[in-house]
Amino acid sequence: MEAGSEGWLFAVALGTSALGGMLGMASGIFIVPVLVLFGGIDLYHAIAASIVSVIACSCGSAAPFLRSRLTNLRLAVVLEVATTLGALTGVFLVGILPISYLYLLFTAVLLVSAQQMLTRRREQVAALADRPQGSWADRLRLHSTHPDPPTGREVAYRVQRLPLGLLLMYGAGVISALLGIGSGVLKIPAMDTALRLPIKVSSATSNFMIGVTAAASGAAYFMRGDILPAIAAPVAVGSVVGSILGARILLRVSNEHLRLFFVVILVALAVAMGLMAFDIQLYRSP
Amino acid sequence: MTPPDLPTVQRARLERLLAAQLQWGTWLASVVTVLGMLLARWEGAPGAAGGLSLRSVDVMTAGIALFLLLPVFRLISMLVVFLRQRDRPFVALTALVLTIIGLGVALGLHWPG
Repeated sequence: MEAGSEGWLFAVALGTSALGGMLGMASGIFIVPVLVLFGGIDLYHAIAASIVSVIACSCGSAAPFLRSRLTNLRLAVVLEVATTLGALTGVFLVGILPISYLYLLFTAVLLVSAQQMLTRRREQVAALADRPQGSWADRLRLHSTHPDPPTGREVAYRVQRLPLGLLLMYGAGVISALLGIGSGVLKIPAMDTALRLPIKVSSATSNFMIGVTAAASGAAYFMRGDILPAIAAPVAVGSVVGSILGARILLRVSNEHLRLFFVVILVALAVAMGLMAFDIQLYRSP
Repeated sequence: MTPPDLPTVQRARLERLLAAQLQWGTWLASVVTVLGMLLARWEGAPGAAGGLSLRSVDVMTAGIALFLLLPVFRLISMLVVFLRQRDRPFVALTALVLTIIGLGVALGLHWPG
């Protein structure tokens, strides 16, 4: 299969999205480097195509989360104000920043992702009454409940430190638009550490928000003509199919081996993208 | 004290509505995009569209546009629900997010250079 052909794009998107789905990661972080490094596609078109697949994956995987009542819809809307504003900032910056900066930023994001993959996420949920009432989260009624699987009982949780969460989400929006990724790198610390959500709630809510965030930058790229159908179409469809497969495989493969495998791949891609910043290309597509 | 929340029934109804909307929307956008890709095969080399009024590129673009619109439709549904519940702060917040996406469209249209 020729690199960059329709079949190749479809297969790459399917593969990366399935792999990403197994560990609950957005696939954009793999798709862009693979398109650029092996497909010979220029960075801007790869980012624009990836944004479409980020939306497709977010929307395609939202339903099961919603049905299991893990998504905090009110909190999502509040945080989306920050992520979409961030996305618009990113669209501005992408036109201003030299391309080598984008490669370096991508390298940094890949390395932080690798590091996050090594450290386990821990529950940091605060006790119900350990914060004074009267915060913005109280006023907007963002606190909610989620069902506890073994008992089916509703467990209440509180949303903490909303301003810090909003700030991190703004940053996540900027990076998402700049690099064409879902930018879990900033969303996970924002959700876990700042807002102190239960991990399942934060995964579901962040996945839900990714689509809206990417729609803000995607709309700009679409109108500007950066989204090339010949690239974006097979990538989007491949990602949808891959994310369905990935969610199925999730239950069957040992998580520990998969984790290490991913860390190695993330570091390798980081090195290759870092070299691209200095115009050194390890693999030349035919 | 349990913090006040949307009444459970209302919340569950909105969750089911959005789940169905996003699921069917993803299918529809995927099918349209695949149709465009198949049409491209059928047309053969680009530019050989012959008498077709609908070019494969247009169908693929429509599919991609549908993907981009899914989050927008999702926000509109939430806006309608918040309006019905007379939840003013959330009507305003949802409308604000939609406006920001609209700004993205404007930014793309009027990009300098």
